[in-house]
Amino acid sequence: MIRLENVTKVYEGGVVALKDVTVDIQKGEFVFLVGPSGSGKSTLIRLLIREELPTSGDVWVAGKHASQLPNWKVPHLRRSIGTVFQDFKLLPNKTVYENVAFAMEVIGKPKSVVRTQVPQVLKLVGLSAKADRYPRQLSGGEQQRVSVARAFINRPLILLADEPTGNLDPATSVGIMRILDRINRTGTTVVMATHDHAIVDAMRRRVVELERGRVVRDEHRGVYETLEQPPSRPTAVVGTDAATVTDGTADVELEVDAATDADAEEPAGPEPEPAPSAEAGPSEVEESP
Amino acid sequence: MNRAVYAIREAFTNISRNALVVLGAVLAVFISLSLTFGILVFGEIVRVNTTTWANDVRVIAFLSDDLTPAEIDGLQREVRYWPEVRDVFFVSKAEALEEAKELLASNPAALQVILESPDVVPASIRIQPSDPKDYEQIVLRLRGIPGVDKVVSAGPAIDAMIGVRDGLRILFWFATAALTVAAIALIANTIHMAVYARREEIEIMRLVGASNWFIRTPFLVEGAIEGLVGAVLAVTFVVVGHRLLVDRFAGLPQWIDVSVSNGFMLQWGALVLLFGVVTGLIGSSLSLAVHRHLRA
Repeated sequence: MIRLENVTKVYEGGVVALKDVTVDIQKGEFVFLVGPSGSGKSTLIRLLIREELPTSGDVWVAGKHASQLPNWKVPHLRRSIGTVFQDFKLLPNKTVYENVAFAMEVIGKPKSVVRTQVPQVLKLVGLSAKADRYPRQLSGGEQQRVSVARAFINRPLILLADEPTGNLDPATSVGIMRILDRINRTGTTVVMATHDHAIVDAMRRRVVELERGRVVRDEHRGVYETLEQPPSRPTAVVGTDAATVTDGTADVELEVDAATDADAEEPAGPEPEPAPSAEAGPSEVEESP
Repeated sequence: MNRAVYAIREAFTNISRNALVVLGAVLAVFISLSLTFGILVFGEIVRVNTTTWANDVRVIAFLSDDLTPAEIDGLQREVRYWPEVRDVFFVSKAEALEEAKELLASNPAALQVILESPDVVPASIRIQPSDPKDYEQIVLRLRGIPGVDKVVSAGPAIDAMIGVRDGLRILFWFATAALTVAAIALIANTIHMAVYARREEIEIMRLVGASNWFIRTPFLVEGAIEGLVGAVLAVTFVVVGHRLLVDRFAGLPQWIDVSVSNGFMLQWGALVLLFGVVTGLIGSSLSLAVHRHLRA
């Protein structure tokens, strides 16, 4: 379904985002793309939707040679891919229903199809009752569910999610993950870039880890970090925000821990043990609601 | 069909969002096309009038009432032998009176004078020169002949008209070219603003795989509408303006005819409308070509 072969991406100015990456993802797989900020996760996703072209190497997506595709065929490639982003990208002047319907209308689906499909998908994401609300009247989790609904409305073969839970608290994130899981069970291939340890560890799906543009790990039923690895890993990005909030109350700490993910571990960098235990905490909290 | 409706509806939404800027662009199209169409109509008036005279320029010599028919005959014969003259017609006092009544139909005061004292209308001989350029020679020779009271010619009017036309033409075409460029730039600007206002929608359209044409058509339609509205205003303005001019000239002696055939107006009016649409399409295409939100 997705194949990257010796893909290297160098941005203008010489920034190497991906270096000789080869990944093969089968139809119906659920894959987590993990790694610190700047490791190339987003670049990889941008290559898949042909927002970027690789500097060298080949990209195949949904049976199409994406890296060789002429520009005018790109829209057709994108119709077989649904995309979810951290910042939702909802249209503020459209209701939930209209936001989802928009994705069908602009590719020319007939009104009758829109009218039957949109309510079904809204039901799938649990927002049937809020179809007439505007994005500003929704919580972050609800907004993200709208954006998932929009990504799935055209029944794509592949669903790409770039940090879909990055702006959400752990409990809400679990809700989003349940929906993504359900979508995956319909046979849709799901690729999710994330920093969220708790989610990766709880789901136990395939994990592809990138570091400085290289694939450093690719394992089935993986966790965010392997036990052998953490002590040696250098502190890449220091989440000062997370550090200060961690000094506050206990519940805030929990929330930040799971929500802003990888950063939460950084203060504990020197001692390897606290990090995994901290991850265990939120994942328990998540399963309860 | 459905898509056409969509594109037009979206185009009007864009226009209403930026009404003021759109108005500026439409006015620019209006002014540039009014000039274009105005020059065309003026050129046509000059062409029609000069061709009439070129075939048939008349120098008119008004004759003294003292001349006897025999003297008039002699005069006519003499003039006909001049090398510059192709033909000579005699218009009697009675015929001249009839003609004057017709010409002055829309000028009651002057008509009254003539009806009260028909004698003021003189007899005349009307001369068709062999070569239109020779009218001045004929005028000079006629002035020396006893019994000729007054000589008028249509020549100087033609010269003036042709002079004005040639002088204005260059100036006007230059102004038109400059204004057309300005109109295209202003339309491009309105499209640029419309694209910017819709950048989020465009981003999502691209993500879900809307075709480039689907994304671009509303903006092209918007440009075309702006150009068309400007052109419709320009054509209306020139047609109405010309009608008013015809009405004003109706009262004057008809040695100049400012009317233009309906065929000319229809044909060139349609072309001006088309040109307006093309101007709009060029403006919007330019804008879409450079806009970063639309890059593939």
